[in-house]
Amino acid sequence: MEPLAHEGLARLLQIDDSLQTPHVISREDLTDSQDLVSGGTIKIDKPVDLPPTPLGLDSNKAPYLQLSEEIAVLDNASSLQPQKLVECASHFRKEAGYSRLLYAPAVEPSDMPILAYLGVDVFDDLNVELRSATGWSLDSGSWTKVNTKTTDLQSQNREELERWLLKIRTSIMNGTLRELVEMTSLHNPRVSQILHHSTSLLIEKGARRNVMIRANNLSLENPSVVDFQQRLSDYVPPAKNMVLLVLPCSARKPYFKSSSHKRFYNTIKEVDNYLALHIVSVTSPLGLVPRELEFCYPAAHYDIAVTGDWSASEVQMLREQFSRLEPEKHYLKAIVHAGSSSRIITELLRERKVDTIDTEAEKPSSSEGLEILQEITRTAIAEIPVLSSKDRAKGEAIGLAKFQYGESSPFLTESEISGHMPYKLRCGDLATISPRVGGLGLTVAGAAKYAANGGPSITAEDFKLVGDLFAIGVKSYDGHWAIGDQVVIKQNGRVTGVGIAKMNPEEMISMGRGLAVEVRHHA
Amino acid sequence: MPKAFVPLTQFVNESKLTPREHPLDQPVARWTEEEVLGEEVVEAGVAILRTRGCYWSIKEGCSMCGYFNDTVPGGVSTDMLYSQWKKIRHSLKGKRYAKIYTSGSFLDPTEVPLDFANDVMSDMADMGIEKVLVESLPEFVHPKHFSYSNSPKIEIAIGLESSNPVVLDKSVNKRLLWPHFVKVCEIAHENGAEVKAYVLLKPPYLGERDAIEDAVQSATDAAPYVDKISINPVNVQKNTVVEKLWFRDEWTAPWLWSVVEVLERCKDLPAKVYSDPTGGGTRRGAHNCNDCNSKILDALKEHRLGHGNLKGLECECRPRWEVLKHQSSYRRNGAEPHGYRRGFGNGRRF
Repeated sequence: MEPLAHEGLARLLQIDDSLQTPHVISREDLTDSQDLVSGGTIKIDKPVDLPPTPLGLDSNKAPYLQLSEEIAVLDNASSLQPQKLVECASHFRKEAGYSRLLYAPAVEPSDMPILAYLGVDVFDDLNVELRSATGWSLDSGSWTKVNTKTTDLQSQNREELERWLLKIRTSIMNGTLRELVEMTSLHNPRVSQILHHSTSLLIEKGARRNVMIRANNLSLENPSVVDFQQRLSDYVPPAKNMVLLVLPCSARKPYFKSSSHKRFYNTIKEVDNYLALHIVSVTSPLGLVPRELEFCYPAAHYDIAVTGDWSASEVQMLREQFSRLEPEKHYLKAIVHAGSSSRIITELLRERKVDTIDTEAEKPSSSEGLEILQEITRTAIAEIPVLSSKDRAKGEAIGLAKFQYGESSPFLTESEISGHMPYKLRCGDLATISPRVGGLGLTVAGAAKYAANGGPSITAEDFKLVGDLFAIGVKSYDGHWAIGDQVVIKQNGRVTGVGIAKMNPEEMISMGRGLAVEVRHHA
Repeated sequence: MPKAFVPLTQFVNESKLTPREHPLDQPVARWTEEEVLGEEVVEAGVAILRTRGCYWSIKEGCSMCGYFNDTVPGGVSTDMLYSQWKKIRHSLKGKRYAKIYTSGSFLDPTEVPLDFANDVMSDMADMGIEKVLVESLPEFVHPKHFSYSNSPKIEIAIGLESSNPVVLDKSVNKRLLWPHFVKVCEIAHENGAEVKAYVLLKPPYLGERDAIEDAVQSATDAAPYVDKISINPVNVQKNTVVEKLWFRDEWTAPWLWSVVEVLERCKDLPAKVYSDPTGGGTRRGAHNCNDCNSKILDALKEHRLGHGNLKGLECECRPRWEVLKHQSSYRRNGAEPHGYRRGFGNGRRF
């Protein structure tokens, strides 16, 4: 089997030429056990033994999976309490490993996307058979009662179920499985509860895919969004005693590339000491995005319907983000130039006792708006200590490195910082800005230091590494990562490459095929 | 005693609660019901004595049994048993058949003292009662436990539950050994008692089809050694493993169609096989759809009293049961989707 793509805990696996998981088997692919002690067989590409049914066991207690040589079964997947199910999901790969397929018997089509998102590989059509027998027709995962007697409902529903699984697989390939899950959760309390409780598990263990988030109200719980928000606590602005400038977000990402932000920048550039202004954009669902973090996923990868209204939950989210940024500690004052959001932002800043000026420009990027902005910034930063571009660059690198690498970030920023945001910032010969990585991308020299400072590393077999690293070439690993994180490649005790992980740690060992690391730099 | 299946033992113990307090001088319940005595249908008097309860349920207990809820953990004094008996004997007047239950074993002398049992039996013999049914675990079926000075004909009901050791161990949590069961049936017969065996239909964890096969096999195995077999569809009693599984949607009570199938397949056995489903037609008991529950229950009653057979019963839900039965062992638990029995329509229940 070969993993083709991951999203969350979901895997798109190539089993053989014509078979991919998540896969649905039909009842004819199952055989019965002759007694209660064995489990019968299941035919995926070939018939394999199922583990015995969980007689006498308490489904609320670990181990949650029943294992045979090749299959792990999640019994009661359709009835486990949402929170319990998420807890089980956090144990899936620990109990089953990566070489067993995970089968969830007798689940409803509407539960399949979320279960796939949490790591289930194989489903069956047992519930579809029961629905068909009572005259219900399947359409995109939901049921409609048909009044006319249809002779062939079972085979029609069976085909529709195949299409539903195809949709799940395509979504994993495209990185849009979460959208499909959100759609099925809309009027399904069970799926929404599971989705709600799975956020932190997905942040911790889910694959990070730099795909566009087409946001809506549900996206406030998107793991990438929540992760970004939480890590804002790690972030520090470039220097002390700056002036905070809050700007609206833009449709074009990263914001600094948009026409409105170019105009803002050209306007403030004309003011003396403009480097003392720190631009933070206000947006939903992310909240606050400081300029240095605009490359970081998902700040440059989302799209949301702009209504100009802030819902109560969005306002609360913004309040929380301000408490993470702690503007009262870092800035002398704040200027708010965010159009229709200005009033709310000003209130939130004043709640935190920040000296705040609202430009009150209704159209922030119009020429009138820009004039007002220039006027106000000029007076506001007139008496602020001068910030040199060198100090500012150093601060930018520290802030970004801390956001990306957390505690171990000093290994990067103790080097000589040069250039400036956005594209030319460098940490000596250790790291440069990389939109692909989403922030500071390590060089091979940086990778060696990263590994020495506790960064995750992979030991590969001894061969000349050219191009990417595949699972077959992985010998062992050290440390933890999620798919999408940077990992260091070592061979014979020497660092020979650095790249982006495409499989989970244990999975690289279990799989005989597939891309393990997208290598960015070779020694 | 066979080895325990440890997880189930723990599960049983965790499911139980200490019974709430009960009045000690009152029996748990009294009622009358129609029963067959010889060739006749008579009105039988039934009573449940409140006692210390089953010794096994104090130690571990069975996964489906909630009778411990009616017991008194500290035990009931013999005086109090006599006051209960006073109230019971009143309602047995004029009856020819009596059923004296406890929430345990009538033949366990530490639960029901031998002297008290002897007095009760001779009292009933004096009242003209011809036959009395008591229940016991097989370990207490010993001649010295039922050699009364004067008594009606004794019928001992024993919970066999299943003749499959895996079911007993991993589903029921009962440490009964088949050879021992056969032996006590012989002992009972040698000492002039009749034996009735209880066989479970759909103990926890089992799906519909495995349950039917197990009940038919158990009844077939037991038939040569007993006089009657009662098929007991498992119902959901409070504070049991079964109730936990039922709350979690991992098991549902069996269909009445399954009861009918078991009885049909057992009709030629050497013992009489019948069923009186506890809680029949409710969500906690064996049920079909709302349209046919009472029809099937009436037919089962007629069958039990020897008036009719179970032929020609039909309902819209019967093909649904067939489909489920067909796939039940692949579902890997005893559950089915909510509302399936009524075809996912807009009915009130099931």
